[in-house]
Amino acid sequence: MFKKTSTAAAVAASTTLLLVIGGCSATSTGKAEADKSSVAAPKAKAVDYTAMSPNALAEHLIFESGSYELDQPTQEGTTGRDRLTQDEIQKTCSLMKGQELSDKNREKVMALAAASIKYPEGGIKLGDWKKGRELAWSGFGYRTAHNPDVHKTREAGGNCYNCHQLAPDRTGGNLGPSLTGYGKNRGSSPDMLKYTYDVIYNPHVYFACTNMPRMGASNVLNQQQIADIMAYLFDPESPVNK
Amino acid sequence: MFKKALRALPIALAVAAMAGPSMAEAPEDVLDKLIKKTNSPYLTQSPQNIMMMPDNPAWLVAEEGEILFKTPRGPKNASLEKCDFGKGPGVLKGAHAELPRYFADAGKVMDLDSRLVYCMKTQQGFTDKDPAIAKKHGSDSDIMKLQTYIASKSSGMPWNPPMKHPMEKAMRDAGEVMFYRRSGTMDFSCATCHTQDNKRIRASVLPNINRPDEWTKAISWPAYRTTHDHVRSSQHRVLECLWQMRYPNIKNGSDASIALISFWTDAARGTPAIVPDLKR
Ligand code: HEC
Ligand code: HEC
Repeated sequence: MFKKTSTAAAVAASTTLLLVIGGCSATSTGKAEADKSSVAAPKAKAVDYTAMSPNALAEHLIFESGSYELDQPTQEGTTGRDRLTQDEIQKTCSLMKGQELSDKNREKVMALAAASIKYPEGGIKLGDWKKGRELAWSGFGYRTAHNPDVHKTREAGGNCYNCHQLAPDRTGGNLGPSLTGYGKNRGSSPDMLKYTYDVIYNPHVYFACTNMPRMGASNVLNQQQIADIMAYLFDPESPVNK
Repeated sequence: MFKKALRALPIALAVAAMAGPSMAEAPEDVLDKLIKKTNSPYLTQSPQNIMMMPDNPAWLVAEEGEILFKTPRGPKNASLEKCDFGKGPGVLKGAHAELPRYFADAGKVMDLDSRLVYCMKTQQGFTDKDPAIAKKHGSDSDIMKLQTYIASKSSGMPWNPPMKHPMEKAMRDAGEVMFYRRSGTMDFSCATCHTQDNKRIRASVLPNINRPDEWTKAISWPAYRTTHDHVRSSQHRVLECLWQMRYPNIKNGSDASIALISFWTDAARGTPAIVPDLKR
């Protein structure tokens, strides 16, 4: 019996409280831009969450509701806003539960990945497996939020152990397949080296929309670091192959 | 000094649970039943932690919270006993299991954290600058003491966040989109780590959002975290996962954080809350 009045009160309350302060929204939507008077004197803009699609509301919450510190500096010299902005692969691969990647999108993702891969000038070589061991282990780097990693004192790692079992002397995760005995089992033909380099650089070239990060394409690892990690995977002396 | 009373408390709670389904149930009993019902490596990953639950240090924090809750405080010298957590002024039993929800007085969907802050402001007169509100984390913060006390009154009760108001549905649905949305240095979404069975990041077993019987433990906060030696909130867990994801800082009580929490609570609907919990 209170239904009508309480709904009306709710609507009234939501319109008053969901006012976005006009002055701070540099990225206002099309409608607001058309309203030229808002440029001269920024006006508060009412936002009705219930009138938006889930996607539109998610984007609004991320970029325009003041929820994130969008100006937080990142280690690579960009901002939190850039970290939250999706590139084409991220957008295409944000599949909801039960949603499948279409063949067209799979081809698109694989082509984008192929175009992103840069090879070392002198060809793919193996580096120092001991350095690679530490890089594969380290999960340090690029974390920001409430406790930013300081890269000046420590280099960013490859996070491989987060998701893979590698040498048996350390515990790895299992989001990805076990890589124990990798070089021993597969040999180190030029094709095998190229495949592995590609997977580390941008795995979407073989596994479209994989959960594995693009360690080369996202500039987490440079070519020397990839060479060191590859040595850890392939070198007969590496604990991975013992 | 509460130690003795605390050891007796679980027994008292267990007895109370038998007395009627509306009383809070000891968290270790809730967990025990779930473990017997499901075969989840996430629920059983730490036998030490399970054994420690009757002596969960979070009970001390809850006790302190109860005192704070009932003491007149702030510029308005009021206790929190008239605060409406969704089931009427002063009703705590089962309230946390039905959050987040839409509050007409605030015109917003609120989680436990933001509702508590709202009452501390409107009823007690605290402001954002007062330490009572400004200090969001740690067992020694008023916010965590109060949250632990309030949430403990929902132990054993099924998660049941209302979805009647269009705002509740809108926030849940946006939270779902955010859960599957990839971005950041490592292309992570929440789904990367929380949608498969029996997966681990290094040695940590990952809870799967598609398994309500295990997901309920994942979202049961406040929980005492043994590795932190502090009681932590849902908001703090969001922050930690975003940190691993290389995302920027999220603000406590922000709408984006509440949308995520609305979705994750809805995913555990019908399974019993385990509060206070004890986690690694
Ligand atoms: C977030 C988890 C994650 C991280 C971090 C990660 N990977 Fe992976 N990796 C995967 C997954 C998942 C696959 C399987 C590909 C697929 O099917 O999607 C994979 C596949 C691979 C493969 C191919 C395996 C095969 O059988 O051919 C290699 C090689 C590999 N990863 C190496 C690495 C290395 C080296 C690192 C660290 C620089 C790393 N991965 C970091 C998740 C991860
Ligand atoms: C890179 C992997 C990763 C991603 C991505 C991730 N998490 Fe987590 N999450 C973890 C790990 C590891 C834990 C700790 C699990 C444990 O201790 O057993 C965890 C724990 C949790 C828990 C509590 C369970 C516990 O025992 O502590 C919740 C709830 C949760 N995550 C939600 C989220 C949400 C929401 C997102 C997206 C905003 C997210 N996670 C993204 C790895 C991840």
